Amino acid sequence: MAENRFYLASSPHFSLNLSTQKIMLAVVIALLPECIYGVAVFGFRALAVILAGVAGSVLFELLFLAATRQKIVIKNLSAVVSGIMLSLVCPPTIPLWQVLIGSFVAMVVAKGLFGGIGSNVFNPALTGRAVLFLSFPSAMGARWIDPARVSEGLDGISSATALSSIKNGSLSIEGFDFASYFFGNRAGCIGETSVFLILVSFAFLMLFRIVDWRAPLSMVVTVFAGTFIHSAVKTADLHGALMNGLVSLLTGGLVFGAAFMVTDYATTPATRPGRLLFGFGCGMITFLIRSFGGYPEGVMFSILIMNSVAPFLNNLTVRMYGHGKKGSRRLDASKIDMEFDIGSARPSEIPSGMEGGKDE
Amino acid sequence: MKELTNKCPLTPAFPASGCVTIPVTMGGAPNRPLVQVGDAVARGQVIASGDKFMNCPVHSSIAGKVKKICDCTVTGNQNVPCIVIESDGSDRTEYMEALDPFACSVEEALERIKNAGIVGMGGASFPAHVKLNPPKDKEIEYVLVNAAECEPYLTCDERTMIESPERLLDGLAIALRLVGARGIIALEDNKSYIKPLLEEAILKKGYGDDMGVCLVKTKYPQGSEKFIVYSCLGVEIPSGKLPSDAGVMISNVGTFCAISDAFRLGKPLIERSLTISGGAVVNPCNITVPVGTVVSDLIPGVFSIKADELVKVISGGPMMGFSMGTIDFPIAKGTSGVTFLTKKETFLTAEDQCISCARCVSTCAMRLSPLLISRSLQENDVKKAMRFGLMDCIECGCCAFVCPANINLVQRFRLGKAFARSHLAEQRAKAEAQKNQGDAQKSKEQK
Repeated sequence: MAENRFYLASSPHFSLNLSTQKIMLAVVIALLPECIYGVAVFGFRALAVILAGVAGSVLFELLFLAATRQKIVIKNLSAVVSGIMLSLVCPPTIPLWQVLIGSFVAMVVAKGLFGGIGSNVFNPALTGRAVLFLSFPSAMGARWIDPARVSEGLDGISSATALSSIKNGSLSIEGFDFASYFFGNRAGCIGETSVFLILVSFAFLMLFRIVDWRAPLSMVVTVFAGTFIHSAVKTADLHGALMNGLVSLLTGGLVFGAAFMVTDYATTPATRPGRLLFGFGCGMITFLIRSFGGYPEGVMFSILIMNSVAPFLNNLTVRMYGHGKKGSRRLDASKIDMEFDIGSARPSEIPSGMEGGKDE
Repeated sequence: MKELTNKCPLTPAFPASGCVTIPVTMGGAPNRPLVQVGDAVARGQVIASGDKFMNCPVHSSIAGKVKKICDCTVTGNQNVPCIVIESDGSDRTEYMEALDPFACSVEEALERIKNAGIVGMGGASFPAHVKLNPPKDKEIEYVLVNAAECEPYLTCDERTMIESPERLLDGLAIALRLVGARGIIALEDNKSYIKPLLEEAILKKGYGDDMGVCLVKTKYPQGSEKFIVYSCLGVEIPSGKLPSDAGVMISNVGTFCAISDAFRLGKPLIERSLTISGGAVVNPCNITVPVGTVVSDLIPGVFSIKADELVKVISGGPMMGFSMGTIDFPIAKGTSGVTFLTKKETFLTAEDQCISCARCVSTCAMRLSPLLISRSLQENDVKKAMRFGLMDCIECGCCAFVCPANINLVQRFRLGKAFARSHLAEQRAKAEAQKNQGDAQKSKEQK
C-alpha cells in the first residue's frame, strides 16, 4: 500500500541544484574572451595550442581514469578547464608536442595521482607549465610574438617581454605605454596579455559567485605595495615608485594568475582568513622573485609554493557564532530601547507607517 | 513557494474517519496514559500525564470513546504509544475555568500553562511552563516572538498573525508579565505588510511601551533562535548555551496564541494550525485541525495529492523537516506543516566528489567550515571536526543545499555529532574510572 513508496532521507529535502559541471562550464565561458583575443592577436597558431591543450588534457584524464579503473567523470568539464588554462599560460610559439607533455603532467602527475578532482595539492595547469618552463626554457621564455610588429607585416618574433626588459634594465618606465598593456597589445602568453579582458572574466565569475575576491585582491595589492615600497626606498621618487607599482600589475601573468589560478578550488584554502593569507603569500613571493630572484616572472612559482601550504592555512578560521568575547556578552538593554518607538504618545504617525502594505 | 498558500485563510478541518491518534508524549518527559480502552472522554479532558516537572499533559482533542492504545508511526518514523479516540459525534467539552492572567499569581499562571499542555509549536516541542520559569540567575530581558517562519512553503504563522493578532498579543502580554520583560515580534521582511497590522493592534491594546515589531532580513535560517536573537538584539547565544543565557526567551507565534487561549477560554492545546503545501498537492491550504489528526485522513476531503508525482512526504518544511515513509502519521503539537514534494522539487542526485569550492564555508550562518568538518569526520578525527565547529552546527541544511557535488553534509554531521557525544561520554567515563582507581590506590597506600 502506501508503505515504502516514498523516498526517506535526512533533511534538507531541497537543493540549489548546482553541479560541478555547471561551475566548470561557467569557468570555460569566462575564459572564452581570453581565448578569442589570443587567437585574434597571435593568429591561428594560438588556436592550435589551445585545442592541443584541451584535447591532450581530456585524453590524458580519460586514459588515466580508465587505466586506474575509476569512474569516468570527463563530463564534469574540469579537464577542459585545466586544458584551456594550461594553453593560455603558454607562449603562442610553443611546439604542440610540448603542449601535450604539459597536459600529461597536469592531468596525470598533478591531478590524477593525487586523487583526482578536489584532491590535488598543486594547480594542474601551473604544474604542467612549470615542467615545460624548466624543460624547454627556450620555447617557454626566449621567443615571444609582439603584436605591434605583426601588424607591421613582420613575423613578429621578438626576444623579450616587458618584465625581462625591465629585469635587464633595457626598459624604463618613462616610455611605458599603459593603455596597450591594459588592453593587451603586447608580447606574452596567449591568455595573459589583456588585463581588461581578464577583469571582465573575473567580474563574470564574481557575478555568478564562482570565485571569491579575497585571495586575488590580496595578491595583487601585495605585489603593488611591495613594488611601490621597494622602488620608493631605492629611488626616493614617489611618482616613479607609483608608476613602477602600476607597471608591476600590468606586466607578466600577475592578473591572470590572480584571477584564475589563485581562485582554483582544490589548491587554495577554503576559509576566508586562509584565502587572504594565501593571496598575501603569493603576492609576496611574486614580488621577491621579480625584484631579487633570478627569473623575470614569479607568479607561477609563487602560486605553486603557496599551494603546498594551502591545507595548513585552512586552520585559520573566522570566529564561529557564539564563541569568543562577542559570544559571551549579555544583552545591553539600554542600546535596544529604540526598538520601542510605537509608544501610545504618537498614534497619529501609525497610518504613515503603512508603507509595508504596498507589498501586497 | 510561500505564495502557494500565503493567501489561503486558516480553515477548520476534521478527520474524515472521525478518529484521532494522539501520541501519549508530545514534548517534555514521557507521559503515561490516564484512560483505558472503552473510556468515554470529553474534548479537553486530560488523557495522559506524568508527575515530573518536565511532564506536559496531553488532552483529548475530540469527544468520543478510547478505541485503542497502541504504537503508531509518528513524525520521525518512530513507533510510539498513542491513544486512538473515536468521535461519538457530540461536542462535549471539558475546558478549564477561564483565569485572569493579570490577577492570578505567577505560580498559578505557570500551573495553568502546564495544565493546558502547552509546548513550543515551532517543532522542538519544549514545554512552555519550563521555558517561562527560567532559573533565578538568568534574568530574561526580552521575550521574542519568532514570527520569521523562514522555512520555504510554510505560512501558517503568517496567516495566524493576520487573522488573530489579538490572541498573539495577549499571549505575549501574559508571557511578559510572567518573566518581567519586554516583547519583540520578529518578522521576516517578506511579511513586512503585517507590521502595521500588528502595530495598530498593539496600540489599540495599549501595549506600546512593552512591545515592538522588528523586521529582519528574509534569509534562511533566520528563524533559528540563534539568528533571530542576533538580528533583533545584536547579541549571540554563547556556544552550547540556551537563549536564556543571553537574557532572551523565544517562542513561536502559535505558542503565544495557545497561552492566550489557555487563560481566556480555559482551552488546552488540542488544536493547531498548519500548512499543507508542496508541488504534489492539488490544493495547497492552511488548516486548523484537532491534534492527533492523521494526515491521510484529510485526503481527499480537505486536500488531494497528485499520487503519481509525489515522491517525498515531509513532516515540517523541506529544509529541516522529517521525511516520512507513510502518510498515516498524526499531526502533533509541534507539526507546523506537511509538505508533499514532487521529483522535480527534491533533486534526488548521487553524491559527487568534493571539489573544495568552499561554498559551504561562505554559506554557513554559524560561520563554521563544513567541508573541513566533513573531511575530519572522514578521517575519523572527531577532535579536529569539533575544532572546526561540529558541535555548533544547528543542522539548518544550508551547506548541503548549496553543495554542487550534492554531498550530504548535514546528514553526515548528525551522525558525527552522535558519534562525538558517545566518544566524549566514553572518555569522561574512562577518566572517572581512572580517578576512582587512583583514589582507591591512594587509600590503599595510606593503609
